Amino acid sequence: MNDLASELFFAGIDIGSTMSKAVITDANNVMRSYVVGPTGAEHRRRANRVMEEALGKAGITLDKIAYIISTGYGRVNVPFADKQVTELTCHARGVASLFPDVRTAIDIGGQDAKVLRIKNGRLVDFLTNDKCAAGTGRFLEVAAETLGLELNEMGRISLQTDTPVKINSLCTIFAQQEIISRLSEGQPLPDILAGVYIAIATRVVKLARQLRVETPVVFTGGVAKNPGMVKAMESVLGVPVLIPQEPLITGALGAAILAREQAFQLIQRGEYDTHREKMLSEAYIEYGEGSG
Amino acid sequence: MAIAINKGLSLAHDIYEDRGRRVRELRKAGRKTIGYICLYPPVEIITALGMVPFRIFGNMSEPITLADQVSTTVVCPFLRSIIDLGMKGKFDFLDGVVGAHTCDIGAGIIVQWRDYVKDAPFTHLIDVPHTDHPPAVEYFAGQLNSFKRHLEEYAGQKLTDDKLKKAVELHNTQRKLVRQLYDLRKPDPPLLTSAENLEVLVALFSLPVEEGNDLLEGVIRQVSERSDRPGRKKARLLVWGPVFDNTSLFKLIESAGSSVVVDDTCVGTRAFWADVKAPYDLQALAQRYLVDIKCPRTYRQAEPAETKRDYDKDLDSRFNYIKKAIVDWNVSGAVLQSVKYCDTHGYEVPNLRHYLDTLGIPSIYIEHDYSERSLAPIKTRVEAFVETLG
Repeated sequence: MNDLASELFFAGIDIGSTMSKAVITDANNVMRSYVVGPTGAEHRRRANRVMEEALGKAGITLDKIAYIISTGYGRVNVPFADKQVTELTCHARGVASLFPDVRTAIDIGGQDAKVLRIKNGRLVDFLTNDKCAAGTGRFLEVAAETLGLELNEMGRISLQTDTPVKINSLCTIFAQQEIISRLSEGQPLPDILAGVYIAIATRVVKLARQLRVETPVVFTGGVAKNPGMVKAMESVLGVPVLIPQEPLITGALGAAILAREQAFQLIQRGEYDTHREKMLSEAYIEYGEGSG
Repeated sequence: MAIAINKGLSLAHDIYEDRGRRVRELRKAGRKTIGYICLYPPVEIITALGMVPFRIFGNMSEPITLADQVSTTVVCPFLRSIIDLGMKGKFDFLDGVVGAHTCDIGAGIIVQWRDYVKDAPFTHLIDVPHTDHPPAVEYFAGQLNSFKRHLEEYAGQKLTDDKLKKAVELHNTQRKLVRQLYDLRKPDPPLLTSAENLEVLVALFSLPVEEGNDLLEGVIRQVSERSDRPGRKKARLLVWGPVFDNTSLFKLIESAGSSVVVDDTCVGTRAFWADVKAPYDLQALAQRYLVDIKCPRTYRQAEPAETKRDYDKDLDSRFNYIKKAIVDWNVSGAVLQSVKYCDTHGYEVPNLRHYLDTLGIPSIYIEHDYSERSLAPIKTRVEAFVETLG
């Protein structure tokens, strides 16, 4: 590594459907800071804020960042990114940097679920749910709203039982109706909650089985923070899952790792522009693009 | 129709945008146009009887609003789109429609056309067996004979051997020219984009065969000499699947950093790869359409007398023509696409993916509901797939 490269920092920014994440790494791939913030239509425009906070936490300025890769659902809207890479590739790299032997990664986000097959740290195959909120974080939010509970409360309560009720419908709207009718039948709350987690896990594992599940399995995304969800996932999968300390930021971390790789390649080829102008600006958003 | 130099692609584009424009003119001059659905009605018979064969496609950017009255949403959305357009009068330039039992809904759609699409004085359904065994070919030749007699009656003239021979020669010429057009995507980068290629093919399905051949010659000359060639991309892909008559998917794939260099779809190679062989009679047509067209709607697994299934041999006999395309076009990955509810194609996907795995060709499978809107969520998956090829 030459002197120029050793002083550089790299950033990955992941604009998901509900959360925005930024990660800053250094020349040795060590994470210097990370930030997780809500997305929403208005927040997504403020991708620069997440970035600003991450810079602040790391104590560095934007001009020290050699390369920025944006990823996630809103990746095309980040004007200060040098390159866009899909969240599938970034998650795979991020997960593999934390768990080098990983073979399968399951990520459940706010509005999508994905299963990645990883070999030697690289994405080799993947599946995503198509245009439906079933089996995603949104499903849990709807269930929580229906029951008048906080999301983290829900997970804790669900752990009180080993006899989950069966939620047959995988459609978010029908499942909501099913939860209400189970409640009116007088089923205990923990059983219903555990049933909700099993329903999501079943949906996602179905996806994973199409790719053949190989261990070790890593579980990421906001939903992986929920102990009820983790328990359900392990019981449906039949194998234990590994969870990163911060399961929300693997995409942004992978993006930062790729940013470093990209910058080093440019430096090696003598194509890296050290004097390019850098400026954080609000993201533009095109409304009405048909995407789940 | 003489094609001015350097106008081939733009003419193809204009016809792609308004498919009925040429046949409407011809109709005013007294020429009849026969629409056909899927690949199995033999266009040679229509041409030989002095009429224009016009391949009926749906429209991915037109929402289906009327067809819900006559079929539910579990039915193939491509065929529903066709009936929807028909009910809206979008095919009012057609004098007749011929369909084939390519799949169950493909046959049902002709019945619906009779019932719900007005102004169709001629309709005909050709029964197509689902295997390529010799007795099936025999039966199919008989079906072609019934179609011939029915169309003779409508045309008020006999189909002579000479007329059929001339028509076969014209269509075989078209097939040869299309194969030459595909050769222009063998170099890296290819000389034309897959979207341009599709516009030319859709135009061919909207023109009399002679005019289509003129168009092809013009396009081939223009593309061979063009200076504004597409740039070099990271991956060279093959697209597989049922009908894809819209450039949107190809544009989406190419905007993800790859070139589509060849396909196995029924708007592309499947329609043009096989010639009719001499003697140019109904038996030869039956052989070409039922045996030589490689569409999953025809079951070609075990040999008729074979009872023990050899999996690898079976895969090879079903898909080795794809292996040849992979080698000839230097393909590095495959996008398998299907319209929702297409069971004939859905059945093939796991086996085909396995076959491609054994060839070391990575693949992705995507499903859409035959609407431009349904393609947007596919974009990330296609981009990620291209990233894995890097």
